[in-house]
Parts: sequence; structure tokens; C-alpha cells
Amino acid sequence: MRSTALVTLLACVLAIAGCGDGGGGDHGTAGAGHGATRQSDVPAAKRIDLVFPYGSEKKHWLKEVTEAFNASHTKIGNGKIIHVQAIPMGSGETMRQILDEHTKAHLWSPASGAFVKLGNAESETRLGKPLVGKTSELVLSPVVIAMWKPMAKALGWGTKPVGWSDILELTRHQDGWAALGQPQWGRFKFGHTHPKYSNSGLISLFAEVYAATGKTSKLTLEDVEKPETGKFLEEIEHAVVHYGSSTGFFGRKLFGNGPRYLSAAVLYENMVIESYDRRKHPDLPFPVVAIYPKEGTFWSDHPVGVVDRPWVTDAHREAAEIYIEYLLEKEQQQAAMRYGFRPANIEIELAAPLDTAHGIDPNEPKTTLEVPSVPVMDAILKLWRKHKKHANIVLVLDTSGSMKGQPMARAREGARALIDLLGPEDRLSFLPFSSRARWVLKDQEMRVGRNRAQTAVGSLYAEGGTALYDAILAAQEHLRQNPTPDRISAIVVLTDGEDRNSRTSLRQLLDRVRADEEAGVKVFTIGYGKGANEKVLEGIADATQAKFYRGTTQNIREVFKEISTFF
Amino acid sequence: MAIPERKGGGAGKLVFFTLLVLVVGIGYLVYSQFGPDGGGDGNGNGGNGSGPQATGPGTAGSGGPAGHSTGSPPPAGERVEFRIAYGTEKRLWLEWAAREFEKTAAGRRIRPILYGRGSVEGAQDVVNGPGDKPIHVWSPASSAYRDVFETEWKIRHGAGSPILRSDNLALTPMVFVGWKQRLDAYRAKYPQVDFRSVAEAMHAESGWDTIAGKPEWGHFKFGHTDPSKSNSGLLALVLMAYDYAGKERGLEVRDIMTAEFQQWLARFERGVARPGGSLTHSTGTLMKEMILRGPSQYDVLMVYENLAIDYLKAARTRWDELVVVYPERNMWNEHPFYILDVPWSSEKQRAAAGEFLDFLMSEPIQRQALQHGFRPGNPMVPVKFDESPFVRYAKHGLKIDLPRVCEAPKAEVLQNLLASFQRLGR
Repeated sequence: MRSTALVTLLACVLAIAGCGDGGGGDHGTAGAGHGATRQSDVPAAKRIDLVFPYGSEKKHWLKEVTEAFNASHTKIGNGKIIHVQAIPMGSGETMRQILDEHTKAHLWSPASGAFVKLGNAESETRLGKPLVGKTSELVLSPVVIAMWKPMAKALGWGTKPVGWSDILELTRHQDGWAALGQPQWGRFKFGHTHPKYSNSGLISLFAEVYAATGKTSKLTLEDVEKPETGKFLEEIEHAVVHYGSSTGFFGRKLFGNGPRYLSAAVLYENMVIESYDRRKHPDLPFPVVAIYPKEGTFWSDHPVGVVDRPWVTDAHREAAEIYIEYLLEKEQQQAAMRYGFRPANIEIELAAPLDTAHGIDPNEPKTTLEVPSVPVMDAILKLWRKHKKHANIVLVLDTSGSMKGQPMARAREGARALIDLLGPEDRLSFLPFSSRARWVLKDQEMRVGRNRAQTAVGSLYAEGGTALYDAILAAQEHLRQNPTPDRISAIVVLTDGEDRNSRTSLRQLLDRVRADEEAGVKVFTIGYGKGANEKVLEGIADATQAKFYRGTTQNIREVFKEISTFF
Repeated sequence: MAIPERKGGGAGKLVFFTLLVLVVGIGYLVYSQFGPDGGGDGNGNGGNGSGPQATGPGTAGSGGPAGHSTGSPPPAGERVEFRIAYGTEKRLWLEWAAREFEKTAAGRRIRPILYGRGSVEGAQDVVNGPGDKPIHVWSPASSAYRDVFETEWKIRHGAGSPILRSDNLALTPMVFVGWKQRLDAYRAKYPQVDFRSVAEAMHAESGWDTIAGKPEWGHFKFGHTDPSKSNSGLLALVLMAYDYAGKERGLEVRDIMTAEFQQWLARFERGVARPGGSLTHSTGTLMKEMILRGPSQYDVLMVYENLAIDYLKAARTRWDELVVVYPERNMWNEHPFYILDVPWSSEKQRAAAGEFLDFLMSEPIQRQALQHGFRPGNPMVPVKFDESPFVRYAKHGLKIDLPRVCEAPKAEVLQNLLASFQRLGR
């Protein structure tokens, strides 16, 4: 943590969309609010409020135990009743919110101690003091490769240690699973979140680089710069279906869409356990198991600490310490175990569901990896940008008459933000549509075509009808006729209304995009404003295992930014 | 009601270490330890975790009567309260003792407030006192800092020693602690668990694959705390130096400033595991990290004997048995309890602290110290009996007698050792 500039850089990139399960479910944009604890019924004068932003991986557990705590009307020494306002959001977002004083938090619990280091380093730079002092771990969960059990068994799971090198072998085979005698499973399809935005994505990269070097600690810049390290990373990354900002989203997609969509994804151990919850996941085709990479892994340790800022009074500290102590008591820790976390209270023996019947091995992991220094982290991110799976995007924008005014202006702004966030080697095609679709750009690499793309988006105006299905079909045809299997192929569609002018029917369109599923073209849809047919757009996104977003003139920029995290 | 207090604070400053090294002397047994971790074991600043979790009742307020409950608080003003700044290696035992004290007749009149602080921090708080958390009793891990504290007090306040009464609560030496399965494999390769073999194991080219044909165990991972922040880390350096010099007494600056030792130390420290990217500040945190993350995080640590004993059960239920190995040369902590005669301490508070000290030194409470892995400060409490952890856990490698206890090194030796470590940029 020597380089302030690097700390700031990393903190910034980690903060954009938050880390971990930062998404607010499968629809909508990332952000806080979902799963926040209920308001207090105690008059303000009689209570002391604690604002508690935390990494949302532990949302279900913290919501349950915090509401019970609030209901107990526990008091501090001056007789005031403690009320904890627990707010789940991405870990990076929690850090940014507190550092920027947008959230006047009294205590904080990101998913990993790495954020405490980053937050404290930036706070020291800004104010000469840390963001939090002493911290305690609330719960733990190792980072694992979650895989469908038959696939894991084909890879040797259960009979020998399996790791990144085995994943690499599989990605090297053009025939995918056929190389292991399982042609019916098609290509090896892999997922991890975007390392710029998500803890588990960043950790995946560290693990891949460690595996490439054969080290488990003391990773150096020289290690990262070796050509074979980049090659290893590139080969694994090419099996990636797409990236994303939220580990939770990947988990839900893996469990919800089955092995046709993803063979494996980097998740937290507690999410593998969660997949065995038949109420949430009644129709899994196979069980999911946790692979603890033989090369080593990292722990998500959920530290909690009292924030060191002027608005945190002695009374807040007293209340916070009582609440933390409560969270670490046996009863609450046992509740955490029910949600698949390993309790930080060492008095508790590990028991179900932390067992092999829930796809995990409580005796794993066998070895862990050392958190690299900030300069090495930065070098790894740069290496990834070079060797990541690049994207081939078709942007399909509605320019019908109903978009006139602010909607069009904001949509242009959002689309330009997306273009800004694409990498230099990513390709963009641009297909605006109203009563008919007209190609403006085709396959422009951003290294040379970014300005042209920005200009094209900036020159749009609203007029005419809505031939939505024809436009999506045209985009689909373009990608089908110009396949780029070494890239993430996706269509990003924004519309504010229902289709009125297409010759293509919805059924025809859905059949078409479903038929091309193995080609891996994802269709991300944005229902912009109240006139959009959400059900239709959701259906189109679901048909390609992509994601539907609700957009407004207020949030459209953020929606486009979040979509960029998939690439 | 006894109350565990927590407060973040600055890590022990180098100037205090420098002062501290001037007064390291010989105590009840030969020892040379500073107070507990400067960064604060568990409760001090800088740790990224805590020691064993407190289950103590009450709030963390500086006198507020309410508890961590919805029940009625005990009436304020009717009980004599006093604050104990203590080295948190003994946190579990002290919190238990305080809860037991609360059940006694004296406990209904007297309320000790437990305040986890590093030795140097605790002394600073008293010298600079009273502050917002006035300290009435100071109980560091070691008495080594007593002379510096008294000198500082005299300089600042122009008065004699503020220590009215003292006693040694408990003793504990340093140990290597590791996972049985891994230490068994280690011993098949290296007959002796000592700093030299640990150095070899840390640098084994293919880690556990080379040591025991177990590639899945990764590299051999040895840990100690940050010697700049933590007493146990500094002691690890001292024991390394004694071991390298092959003596127990008369360690000189020239012994540690040889190119050979400096190179050996640099190589050793390059191999020490830093899973979070830096050395841990607190011994309690380090031990808890090992238990929570199992052999994936550390194979072997150097920690206080009492911590290893205290975590035996948790280790077994989560991962594997722990095994303790005593370094061939060792040192002691003796956990003094100093009742202070300071301007903010009333006669009632001093008397109350005395009653609590008598309670702590009583046989039942001392026997419980034994259960927490301490060797009792009350010589009337036996260590060798069937239920003693030292007998019961003998199969874990626990021993009552230490082979060789080292003399406290001179101040300049400690100073140079610490400087040598700091030059390594760890």
C-alpha cells in the first residue's frame, strides 16, 4: 500500500459499481436500498441511530439478525435505544460512499479486508487518519470455482486436486468438453465478474496469475510481466461468456440457466451452499459443487469496524460495539452458518449446511494466496485489459418520435458513457432505428473508431415509429454472418415503446435469438421510460441469458455503465 | 458488571520501544518481554481482527450503567468503579473472572471496567492521564516496562512511583504451534522444529511437495507478528538471535550485527507468510486467523503458550489438532497487576482494585487462569495434576518445564534487532 496514486486508482475502479453482490437483483441498476432494514417505530429523541453500509453478500443474514436486534430495543448507557439502519451495497460502493461522506456511516463491513486497507490508505492520504480502526471478522467464506457436479467429476473433482491448470487445459481444447469424453456439454463456458468492479473478479485474476507463475506468495511485477503469464491469462479468459459487476448475478444465472449457459463460475462458497436451497432453486439440473483451486485461493472475511469520522460520537461507538458484539454472539453466528457462512465465532463448530451434502468441503481450502501489493495489483489489471476477452457490441438505439427532448438527450449521454468505457480493442457497431433500422457504424475497433462512434451517437434525433424486432434481428444477423468466437458478442438495445412497425414477429425474433444461443450472442435490453413493454424486453434478454434493465432519464447513464461491466 | 472496553489507539511508538529497551531486566523468572503488542492484541489499533471473541456483558461506556440487554441497569453511583488497562492476551480469562466477581458480595459493590490496551499504550495513558478513560490499574503482559513507566511518571508529575501494590497474575512462555498432520510430515523431514529448520522449510523450492510430497498444501507457511508493533514478534527475533548465537546469556550487539546473522535474518524474514500482504500486528489476531482459516493460512506460528492452549478445542473442531513445540531457548511473560496511586484514583477505588486483585489471585480464579493456558501467578495453585491442561494436553506437546530460559538481552541488543528488522522493509 505504498503508492497513494495506485491506491486511489484501485479504490476508484473498485468503487464504480461496487464489489460482490452489488446488483439490486436481476433487474435494474446497481445500488443501495434493496434489503435495507425497516424504519424504527421509536421516536427519534429516544433512540440512537447507527448507519451501517455493508457488502451485500451477507444481506439475508444481516437483515434477519439486525431486525431482531432493532426489535429488542437494546439501550446504551444513557438510556437511548439503538436502531441499526443496515444498508446492503457493493463493497467498493460502501467504501466510496463513506470516504466521500455521501453516507455518514457509523460502522462499516465490506466483503474483504482488502477494502479496509484500501479505504484506510485513501483516508490517510486525505485526512491523515484511517477510515476505521480495529476491525473484527463477522463471517468467512472462501472464493471457489462453482461447477456443475457431473462436469466437476469429469475434471477429476473428488478423486484428485483440481485447479486453474485443469481449467486451462479444458479451455485449450477446441472441442471443449468433448476432450473429456463429454461432447454433449459443448464448449467450456466460464464466468467471473469484472475485476474492475467486483471483488471476486479481481480475486479470480490474482488466482489466475498466481497459477500461471506457480507461486502462492510474493508475486512480483516481473512475474506479471512474463509473456507466459499473459498467455495463461488469455487462454483462460477466452472461455469467459461475459463479465459483470455482481457475483450474485453470476450465481443466479448459473443456477437459473443451467450448464448450457455456464459450466463454471467464480463464486463465494456460501453461494454454492445457497444453490441447495430448493425454495430458491427448485429446478437445478444437477447439484453444484465447490472446487477449491489446488493452486490456492482467497478468503472473503467480512471485517466490521467503527468509522473514525467526526459524526461518530462516543455514544455511537458504544452502540456500535454492542451491536458488533451481538453479531458475534453464538445465536447470530449460528444464523450466519444457516446462510452458508463460516462463523467467525470460534466457539461454534462447523455443521450443516457447511458439509459435503451441500457441495462444499469444510476441510478446504488447503492453501491460500497472499494478497499482492498495490503496484502488482495494478499491473495485473493492466495485463487483464490486454489479454481479456474483448467485446463485439451492436448498439441498437430507439430514435422514434416518442424519444424527443430529454429522453433522447439522456439516452445519448448514457450511450456515450458506454462507448467511453469500452476497451481500445473492443468493437462497436451502431444501429439506430425508428420505423426502420439504419446502420451507422459496423465493427469499429475503439482504438481508432471511438470518436466516430461518439459523434454518431451525438448526432441522433427523434422521429418516426418503432421497428424494434426488425432492428434486433438485423443486429443478430450481422453478428451471425460475421462471427467472432474469440470475443464477447452482445447486442445492447434501448427502446421507450412497443414495436409497431416490424415485419418480424416477436415469436420469430425469439426463435432466432434462441437458435443462436450456442454462438453466445447476448441481448441486453433497456426498457426506457414508462412506454416500454417490459415483459417483451425481459423475454428477449432471458432468451439469451442476458439481462433486462429499467431505464429512466435519471438513471440511464448508470444503466449503460452497468451494462459495460459485462464486457 | 464488568465491562470490556475497546478503543482504537496508536501503535506503540518507536520512542517508547527505545525507552523500553533501556529497562528490560530480570524478573520473577528470567524474562525479557515487553508489554503486550504495541499495536494492541485484539483491542489495540492496527489489527485487522480481534482476539478471541469477548462474551462479556455490559456496554463499552466509560461508566454508563446500562448493559447489553434490555433489562434494568444496576443503579449507578452505588458501586465503586475502576478501570483496568490490560494486555489482551488474558482477555478471555479476565472477562470470565470479572463475570464471576460480579456474582460475589464484593462484586455487588465493585465494578471493574476492563479496557484492552497494549502495554506501552496503557503506560502512556496513565502518564498522560486521566483523559476520558482514567486508568486505575495497569496490567501489561510483562513488568519490563515498569521502570520506564515510573521514570516517566516522576518526570511528568515530580512524584514517586504511582504503583501502590502489585502482583504477578500469570506466566506464559513462547511456543511454536502448528497443525498436527503438517507438523508430523514436517518432522519426518526435519527432526527438530526450530528457527533453522523453519527457515529451510519456508524456502523449500516446491514447498510441501519438496518437504512431504504434498503439493496441495502449497508452500510452508510460518507466521509471527510484526516486531515493530507486537511484543511476541520482537521476542521471536530475540529467540532467533539467541538460537543463532547458540547461547542463553550474554547476547551482545556484535552477535547480531555479524554479516552472517544479518543475512540469515533477512532470508528468514523473506520467507515469513504475510497472507494479507503485511505482518499481523496482534498475537491474538494472528492465532485467530490460523484457527478461522486453518492450515490454508498458516502451518506454524510463534505465539504465546496460553493462546495456543486456549485455541486447542476450536482448532480440533474446525480443522485438526494443534501441536505445541517449545523453542530450545525461551522467555517468559508474567502479567503484573499494578494498582495505581494517582490523583484521579480515590481511596475507595484503590481498595476496590485491591479486592479484585485478591479475587484474581484466589485459588479458584487462578485455577481458571490455568484452564486458559496460563501458568498461575499464585504459587499455591498446582500445575501438575490430572486436570491441568499441561497434563491433559501433554499429547499436544505441552510441557511444564522449559529447557532453557534466556537472559533478557541488553537494551542496545534489542534496539539493534528491531532496527535490523525494520531495515528489511517488512
